[in-house]
Amino acid sequence: MKSAVKSLPDRATGWLARAVIVFLYVPIVVVVVLSFNGSDVTYKWAGFSTRWYGVLADDTDLLSALRISAEVGVASATLATAGGLLAAMGMARLGRRFRVAFSGGLFLPLVIPEIVLGVALLAVFGTLRADLGLTTLVLGHLVVTLPYAALIVLGAHGALDPALDEAAADLGCNAWQGFRRVTLPLLRQALVAAWLLCFTISFGNIVMSTFTSGVGTTTLPLRVYSLLKGGLTPEINALGTLLVLFTFLIVLGAGLRQMRRILVGGDRTPG
Amino acid sequence: MTVTAPAHAPAPPTAPARRSGFRSAAVTAALLAPAGVTIVALVLVPLALVVRDSFATADPYGGIQGGFTLANYQQLLDPVYLKVFGYSLGMAALNTVVCLFLGYVVSYYLAGRPPQRQGLLLLLIIVPFWTDFLVRTFAWINLLSPGGPVNTLTDALGLTDGPTRWIPSQGASFVGLVYAFLPTAIFPVYASLRGVDPALGEAARDLGCGWWRVHTKVLLPLARPGLLAAALLTFVPTLGVFVIPVLLGGGKHELVGNLIVTLYTEFRNQPMGAAASVVLLTLMIVSLAVFGTAAGRLRRKAS
Repeated sequence: MKSAVKSLPDRATGWLARAVIVFLYVPIVVVVVLSFNGSDVTYKWAGFSTRWYGVLADDTDLLSALRISAEVGVASATLATAGGLLAAMGMARLGRRFRVAFSGGLFLPLVIPEIVLGVALLAVFGTLRADLGLTTLVLGHLVVTLPYAALIVLGAHGALDPALDEAAADLGCNAWQGFRRVTLPLLRQALVAAWLLCFTISFGNIVMSTFTSGVGTTTLPLRVYSLLKGGLTPEINALGTLLVLFTFLIVLGAGLRQMRRILVGGDRTPG
Repeated sequence: MTVTAPAHAPAPPTAPARRSGFRSAAVTAALLAPAGVTIVALVLVPLALVVRDSFATADPYGGIQGGFTLANYQQLLDPVYLKVFGYSLGMAALNTVVCLFLGYVVSYYLAGRPPQRQGLLLLLIIVPFWTDFLVRTFAWINLLSPGGPVNTLTDALGLTDGPTRWIPSQGASFVGLVYAFLPTAIFPVYASLRGVDPALGEAARDLGCGWWRVHTKVLLPLARPGLLAAALLTFVPTLGVFVIPVLLGGGKHELVGNLIVTLYTEFRNQPMGAAASVVLLTLMIVSLAVFGTAAGRLRRKAS
């Protein structure tokens, strides 16, 4: 099976790989640890304390930014997931050539630099003389999240057996009942994963928000970014820790299998 | 579909088939409409507007006046801006090379683990990937502050003596960029390597290939589609970053992303901002074309 003795270069690259994985965690762990620092400056340790979480809970500016971000996240994730689901069902009915063309358009925002997408939307809103606010934010985040939702739902929908629709029809379901009782339950996991990931993407978005937010609709990342320009505080570390915790919950909620499928494709195991 | 045809009285096949064909096309169009309208109205039309704006003259307030001029692009040829483009391309190239190298090393390591361990290790890379971008950036302010964790460590090792100022700096900015893009680069490379039969490497070894040749002659060519995808996801996106150079680099050495944000929000020169965006878009199209032809050549070679 495997060669018993590993070659020196294999061992060396193995250690480098482990070091890289540690490198991915050191900054995150440091944020978590320093958020419990009682000191007024982030880097000088002055004993364990949860005071910065108290300060965070009383920060009305940050809390209102949090509310904006949550609203925009829920709205754009819902729109993106619904749009992605409908698109996946529609694309299954297209011929090969049209399907390739449509998916080309659908995944376009994934390859265009986000800053260009933001500038482009600003040009449209400027031409229409639309006020920047919640609506423009949601539309901007919809552009960013829709390809991800479509990617996830398309993958799951493509894995369904087309005979299921026919079986439902043969058993007396009309199209709506077939969708409601067969397709939707089978896609539930993928839809939950798509929604959660779209919400996360929207919630952490800063580039698109820079161009589509208006007065009074500062999102959490925009608020944190402007705070950070004035310097890092332990309070921001406390907020960061909560966001790290939130990531863990999202990854668990979406499920590891879904994540694997989205990021590295397929469920093949190496031969 | 069969649901629409009455089951008890089979009609001549042509008429209902055509009617249901029409209905079916209408249903398909309705299903595709929300996503299609979003892409056309919020991506394609806006991009066309940016291209138009990049050739427009500015009104006294920096808005779009209309007309046709190449002045915005000519202004971008000013050495100040050329320097930003040159610096950005250099940083993006370096970031891509480092991310591809480390991405390959990690993917090779992952692909060699037993399947169950692979799942666990992959999870270890997924979590940082989804962690908030700003958190991953300001985490480095903690680490690199004078008297911070890294400084304490180097003091203990005798490499530094007392508080050392590493931030803001170009180096800090670069570390931030690598850290931001590394997980993104690992996934596609791993995806292309994990399908590779481990017996291939062993066969090459048995045939007398050394470690280096096993990689350059056997594994790297197999990983090439993944490496190309990783480069596509790293190179141009790095050019558009603006948060990292501000927070970790002190804003002195700008990337194209900073230039665009500054032109829009501070200088309020929309036509020039549009021109810089079009340049970035063009770079993306060029790298997509290169990616497309390279991938096509790989496929032809494989078949």
